[in-house]
Amino acid sequence: MPEVPISPAAVIELLTSEHILEPQEALTPDTDLFSMGLDSMAMMQLLLLIEERFRLTINPAEMTRERFATASALAGFLGEKRRLAA
Amino acid sequence: MPILPATTVDFFLAGLEAFMRRSGQGTHWGVTVLQLEAKPDAQTLTQAWEQIHARHPMLGARLKRQWRGWRWVWETHGTISAPPICWHGVQALPPDAAVIQERLQGRSSAGELTTPLWMEVFPWGADGGHVILLTWRHALLDGTGINLLLEKLAAGACAAGPPAQTMPARESMARVYKRAKPLTDRLHEMTSAGCLSAWKKGMPTGGRPEYRLIELSREESAKATARLRALCGDFLQMPFYAAIAARALRLLHERRGWHSPEIHLHLPMQLRGRSRELIFGNHMGAMPLFLDAGALGTVDEAVAHVLEKYRESMREGRRQASEALTTLAAQLPLSTFIPMVRWTNMGQICSLFHSHTGSFLPGRTEFAGAAVQNICTIPSVSTPPGLGIFVSDYAGLITVTLAWRGDGVSQAEIEALNQRIRTDLTGIAEE
Repeated sequence: MPEVPISPAAVIELLTSEHILEPQEALTPDTDLFSMGLDSMAMMQLLLLIEERFRLTINPAEMTRERFATASALAGFLGEKRRLAA
Repeated sequence: MPILPATTVDFFLAGLEAFMRRSGQGTHWGVTVLQLEAKPDAQTLTQAWEQIHARHPMLGARLKRQWRGWRWVWETHGTISAPPICWHGVQALPPDAAVIQERLQGRSSAGELTTPLWMEVFPWGADGGHVILLTWRHALLDGTGINLLLEKLAAGACAAGPPAQTMPARESMARVYKRAKPLTDRLHEMTSAGCLSAWKKGMPTGGRPEYRLIELSREESAKATARLRALCGDFLQMPFYAAIAARALRLLHERRGWHSPEIHLHLPMQLRGRSRELIFGNHMGAMPLFLDAGALGTVDEAVAHVLEKYRESMREGRRQASEALTTLAAQLPLSTFIPMVRWTNMGQICSLFHSHTGSFLPGRTEFAGAAVQNICTIPSVSTPPGLGIFVSDYAGLITVTLAWRGDGVSQAEIEALNQRIRTDLTGIAEE
């Protein structure tokens, strides 16, 4: 199966299609995900979905507030992980 | 009369309470303790208290089975009037364990508590220190609800009532059974392996609620937080604290010479979509975790093991399976639910009650105008499982509550658990 490209749009699609977030307004790459309801309880679910969809292994210790603050930041972190894994 | 949908956790807690009452363990109460540096503003507190009671009919609700559809609902009877906030006279010391134990048994100095929420203010000492005790019925409030309640009280207002809720869609029992089946099979495996809690057959099940607070200093809390972040990042606090709790229980088993190959935890998990305006009504579902006792050798190993099992449980949909299993159980009379669980689990309910209620009042340094020193919660537990390990924090200060009943856990064992938990959290070995 081809690799799913990592981008802020792909992260937003993952967050909404899997109901991790159910925002009233459309998410943008710079929307603060925590103010949209992303909480610690949803994080393990998100971790598994990221691993499944983008085929990356995330160590929970890598899950920092900065990396998960926005779709843009998260896409940047995941893109870097994929680059290092290549 | 208006009705509100009940969750499967509501049914579980009501079943647990029915079991506690029948086995002489009283009603399932919890106490939240707020340590304040000064007198809280009486008008702020009273206004919020009255608004909360006026806007949340759940405070007068009763869980009952609806004839149509045979499902559990909360039946409300309009608003109830707020019980007066009880202001005590100045005392030399803050309220002691005996006062809190009395509240955990549903009693105040005036007699039996007749409302699910009770607030008392205790001024103490010469420096103006005050302690607030909030006593609450667990059937109506969970960790998230307590935090929401504290936010309203701290702010002095509760502008909104609960959001309108819709009844969950009906599902065929055959589909529910199919979803529950993998968990049922796993529970049977665990049962046949002889999984123990802090209680086993032959031990008493009653006794007065007992507790011990493990209050970490600011320095110890900072060390624990750094350890947590290094192992679990910024978000997965629950697996870290669950690993510490499981290691504590393993220590108890070792000291008693008991062999329990597995430790079975029900981790509370926030249900998606529960509103922040829903103060009364459970926000949690349960995530069953089956830990290998042999994989808990060190804190690092235990945390890695819990995370692995957590992933496994998420992948296998165990939270949904747990909900499905409770949905099936909700067809039973309330009083038979826990006896049925114990019958299938060789007398046990689970190995341990455990939760991490998160940070109280994030971003707030004051409560009704008074500077806050610390906040913690003391829930009562039933026997079995006979031990609860609950973690909360306020402004970076971590408090662990050990809860048990009567002589179910000895003082020497509590000392050993205290030492193990402190060492595990901070990485500092005690002298």
